[in-house]
Amino acid sequence: MSAIEDTSALPAEAPTRRLPSPRMLILWALIVTFCVVPFGLVLAISFGQKIEGAAWEWAFTGENYLRFFVGADWPESRTTLYLNRLWYSIYYAVIAALIAVLTAFPFAYLLTRLSRRAQSRWLVFLLATMSLSEVFIVMGWDILLSNRSGLPMVLRETGVTAWLKDVGWFAQLREWGLANPRDVKFKTSMVATVLTMSYLVWPYAVILLYPALSRLDQSTVEAARTMGAGPWTVMRTVVLPTVRLPLVGTVFLLFVFLLGTYVSVTVFADPSQQTLAISVYEAVRGSTLNAPFGAAQAVILLITGALCLWLGRTLVARTGTPA
Amino acid sequence: MKGLAHLFMGLAAVVVLLPIVVVSAAALNGGRSMLFPPQDPTLSRFAEFFLTQPVWRDAMLNSVLIAAGSAALAVLIAWPLAYGLWREQGRGAQILAGLGAMPFALPPIVFGVGLGFFWGFSGGLGSLWTGIISHAVLFLALPLVTISIGLQSIDRAHLDAAATMGATEATAFRTIIAPQMLPYTASGFFFAFVLSFNEFIVMFFVSSSAYATVTLQIFNSLRNGFTPTMAVGAITFIAVSVAVFSLVARLGDLPRLMGADQTKS
Repeated sequence: MSAIEDTSALPAEAPTRRLPSPRMLILWALIVTFCVVPFGLVLAISFGQKIEGAAWEWAFTGENYLRFFVGADWPESRTTLYLNRLWYSIYYAVIAALIAVLTAFPFAYLLTRLSRRAQSRWLVFLLATMSLSEVFIVMGWDILLSNRSGLPMVLRETGVTAWLKDVGWFAQLREWGLANPRDVKFKTSMVATVLTMSYLVWPYAVILLYPALSRLDQSTVEAARTMGAGPWTVMRTVVLPTVRLPLVGTVFLLFVFLLGTYVSVTVFADPSQQTLAISVYEAVRGSTLNAPFGAAQAVILLITGALCLWLGRTLVARTGTPA
Repeated sequence: MKGLAHLFMGLAAVVVLLPIVVVSAAALNGGRSMLFPPQDPTLSRFAEFFLTQPVWRDAMLNSVLIAAGSAALAVLIAWPLAYGLWREQGRGAQILAGLGAMPFALPPIVFGVGLGFFWGFSGGLGSLWTGIISHAVLFLALPLVTISIGLQSIDRAHLDAAATMGATEATAFRTIIAPQMLPYTASGFFFAFVLSFNEFIVMFFVSSSAYATVTLQIFNSLRNGFTPTMAVGAITFIAVSVAVFSLVARLGDLPRLMGADQTKS
């Protein structure tokens, strides 16, 4: 690492500060090629068109986007299949992100109150579960929620299912799609999908909230306590206002991350309630094989994410930055 | 109040552990199906995963190769990037670092689709080395962050002192910066390693079914249902993650790396 930049304190070996050094030029080339070009390709291909026979060609047509919003046969007929999928992408991601942040917040707060050693141990635990592949997590929840050996079996064996039927709540569960004619079931259901998705990002939520909560000025908390404020009052009037910004920020970050969830949705969501990530895959690699249309859907997913990040920022800015 | 706090944390840990414990226990099943509690417990699934079944053995080898290769590559790219950012602190370096972190921040499926097209055009689709590069780019943000955190802790007065005593920047780098940066570099490497090891969706598009990593192999077998042999994979992965992050915690200050306030102890 002997490539050198000039600073006032050290002998000048690269005196032309204004011109970027060769090292920086190489870095620019690398980053642009690998980090920017792939996204550019997705955007460019989204304007291409499919040729019958599983290939596509470059073009500049808005057809793919038109198909996304109103269907291929428009104006004869109009379908909202893909808009519907986008809706489910957003719906699952919002709920899962909210659940994760709401439950992770008290946990992260308590975590920062522990000794440094204990914090370190919890962080190892959180990082290990955070990095755990989605396929394993889905596998675990699949066993836990499966009809044969999971929660439905436990409910059946312990008589809860029978009791639910007696009380008449079983009909309500069926209406919610959480029961088949005989048993409680979670596969496939929205509950299982959202549950797995929020499990997926829960450790992320703790780790994202951790810095802000850890830097919280404890003296203000103590001052409030000495003045006779109870723990809940302290939470509401001191802690929450201070960390509102990172709290909102975390929800939006997790939301964008969850927009593209693939495995959980394929396994747990009902075919009629699947998301855009699934149809992106189907178009690019799977059964329908229409790369330009897949790319267009990916672009829409990306724009949705970017829009939400922007919205979150303005929202935070509008409410004003707390001290 | 304190008891309630501990209860809440304990409960959260139990929920987090629940699916992991269930998967791990399922690996002991003697039969072909994933039952909990395990039926007819046996350890032969471990032998199948690591030794006798070539599908899993190859997948494991690919996972390790890609994770190690991409993490090393990510560190190699992140170092000059973080160093340039630290030394120059200019707008250009900031934009560059932002672009480098972009693939990690956006939904991975979009980046996966993009890389699929990218390697399709450049002719590397389905090769192991393109998988390595893809993951290196995806996880570039991790060593970038850990190395930047480390560089911020270096006392610039030491560099000035070295310069006054006639040390060239190369010498200063070797004697002052490099030794202090070792734990941060290692942390960045291990973060990238573990996340690459577990990554699924980008590899899914980039591998183009030409080779499989463990996570891909598990997903491919998903249609036929889970088997206890896959659960062995899950146990292995969890063990690797715990070992690696424990190592990171031992190497350096994990709370600081995660952004905790440094003044408290």
